[in-house]
Amino acid sequence: MRSIRRELLVWLLLGIALAVAAAAVGTYWRARDEANALFDYQLKEMAASLTDAPFAAVPAGAGTIGAGSDAMVVQIWDRNGVQLFLSQPRRVLPQNAQLGFTTLSTDSGPWRVFSALAAEQVVQIAQPMSARRELAASMALRTIMPLLAVLPFLAILIWFTIARGLKPLDRVAAAVARRSPTLLEPLPESDLPREVQPLVGALNDLLSRLRHTLDAQRSFVADAAHELRTPLTAVHLQAQLAERATTDAERAAALGELKGGLERATRLVEQLLTLAREEPGVSEVPPASVDLAALAREVIADLAPLAGAKGIDLGLSSTAASMVMGDADALRTLISNLVDNAIRYTRAGGRVDVALADDAGSVVLTVRDSGPGIAVEDRERVFDRFYRGSGAGGIRGSGLGLAIVKRIAERHRADIELGTGIDGRGLGVTVRFTQPISGSPAPAAP
Amino acid sequence: MRVLLAEDDAMIGASVRRGLSQDGFTVDWVEDGRAAELALAERVHDAVLLDLGLPRKSGLEVLSAMRRGGDTRPVLIMTARDAIADRVAGLDAGADDYVVKPFDLTELAARLRALSRRRAGRADPILAFGVIELDPASHETRVRGQPVSLSAREFALLQALLARPGAVLSRAQLEAKLYGWSDSVESNAVEVHIHALRKKLGADLIRNVRGVGWMVAKPDAPQATS
Repeated sequence: MRSIRRELLVWLLLGIALAVAAAAVGTYWRARDEANALFDYQLKEMAASLTDAPFAAVPAGAGTIGAGSDAMVVQIWDRNGVQLFLSQPRRVLPQNAQLGFTTLSTDSGPWRVFSALAAEQVVQIAQPMSARRELAASMALRTIMPLLAVLPFLAILIWFTIARGLKPLDRVAAAVARRSPTLLEPLPESDLPREVQPLVGALNDLLSRLRHTLDAQRSFVADAAHELRTPLTAVHLQAQLAERATTDAERAAALGELKGGLERATRLVEQLLTLAREEPGVSEVPPASVDLAALAREVIADLAPLAGAKGIDLGLSSTAASMVMGDADALRTLISNLVDNAIRYTRAGGRVDVALADDAGSVVLTVRDSGPGIAVEDRERVFDRFYRGSGAGGIRGSGLGLAIVKRIAERHRADIELGTGIDGRGLGVTVRFTQPISGSPAPAAP
Repeated sequence: MRVLLAEDDAMIGASVRRGLSQDGFTVDWVEDGRAAELALAERVHDAVLLDLGLPRKSGLEVLSAMRRGGDTRPVLIMTARDAIADRVAGLDAGADDYVVKPFDLTELAARLRALSRRRAGRADPILAFGVIELDPASHETRVRGQPVSLSAREFALLQALLARPGAVLSRAQLEAKLYGWSDSVESNAVEVHIHALRKKLGADLIRNVRGVGWMVAKPDAPQATS
């Protein structure tokens, strides 16, 4: 598993080590330059001292200048090139001398050579470059040694600083862990570093949406339970009456009513299920091309007996446009609920009209009736589940029909509007499918 | 005992009315709060069965208005909300008792009888006066310990008379106890039932006060001619 702490530590230490190395290299280069200047000066001084002295005095001093491999080598020639002195015979150095400073490359590494001409002789002093390199290296080492020494302490400091810096994350994690579906308060946002704030903000946003969804679910369940209680109470009472019945006729009547009560309870449960299925994210049916006119014909055929029983003139008046993308079952429910409502609330002998029109490329479904209509002040609320308009006039629906219609319309991105029905009376419901129409090509707008 | 039922659900209302009628109650049924207030203004009901979720005017509003107006008749609320707060609100608004939907018809009838007893200041569930004993729960009537079989109307009539022993009840008062709005009342219906009652119980137990009405009497009380 990746660890921010480990990664930060590794990269920081790596960076520090690189910096130390760079410092060492820099120090080495500078120290070497300084050592060069210093030793060159020393060579020159020594050459000068040798040329000033008479030859006979030289060997004793020159021989002691240095011993071992780092020691300087002194050669002295006379004007004719005859070697008069060589301090270390084992050393192989050029026999001819070039006046001034030169750097020679020999089998034992580079040498720095200074030659000077004085009176009767040429004095040459040579020194291996390795001496200067060693001096520079030791200086560089001395510079970085303290840095290397504090490196472990630095590592420990970094380790704990990172831990401290990451503390807010632990706090957030603990706060999130304390949340449960029943306790979805926002996480505390005070005292948080800027880096953690977006995370907590996003989490709080999610928590609040979750809370709303859960609240909606809870209130739906509570409403549903409450609404189920009414038909169940009726069934309960009807069953008691059937139990009490003493004659066959009484029992038959009571059982008939019980059946009616059960049908009503069943219808409510079915509508609750339909509504639950239309919850966002529940239905995964891929949208398909749906012919609303065909659906409307099916629905009208299904409901014709109900309309006929009430003497209501039910029909499909026009089908100018009808193809939309969507879920055929849901759209059938939408039309069915609207037509069923219209029949339910229209008095005997009234009229219910279903029409499909094309309005600027949108398919528009209208269901109009000649019933009592819905008062303007009620029009917003009738889409709330379990709301029954005050003008319902004793007709008892489940209070879910229009809530279902609205949910389905929302899922199909269709606008829904309530207005007046036939001849300025009654209710007219307009569902406008603004989505692009597929299937039958729409006639081009003029 | 005549009860006003205020319930907006058609199925529940019909069932409660039928069930209570079978238990000997006379039930008038209204479906919204305004109608309930109109019915209460008639002052013919002995008790009120009130649903809290009434349209037009909520049950709680009807109840508060009743109590503010000095109406002390017993009120039993029927609620689908079983949250304690709802029941407390109902009781605090002046209700005498409550049932939570779904409820039992026999329990509802028993609670109504209990309310009626409490209102009359009685603890004994048996209505007794002189040699007559009447059990509103089991619908049994005894005279001198002997069971007497009465029709539902006769029973209701005797119950109305026994509810205020010694008081003279007019024909109109008795009619109001016996018949709901939906019952068609023949002009001499009360006399017919009184006649049958006196035949079954003995003429001396129900006295006619000429021109005023009827009252129950103890058998040793001085007799009046009918």
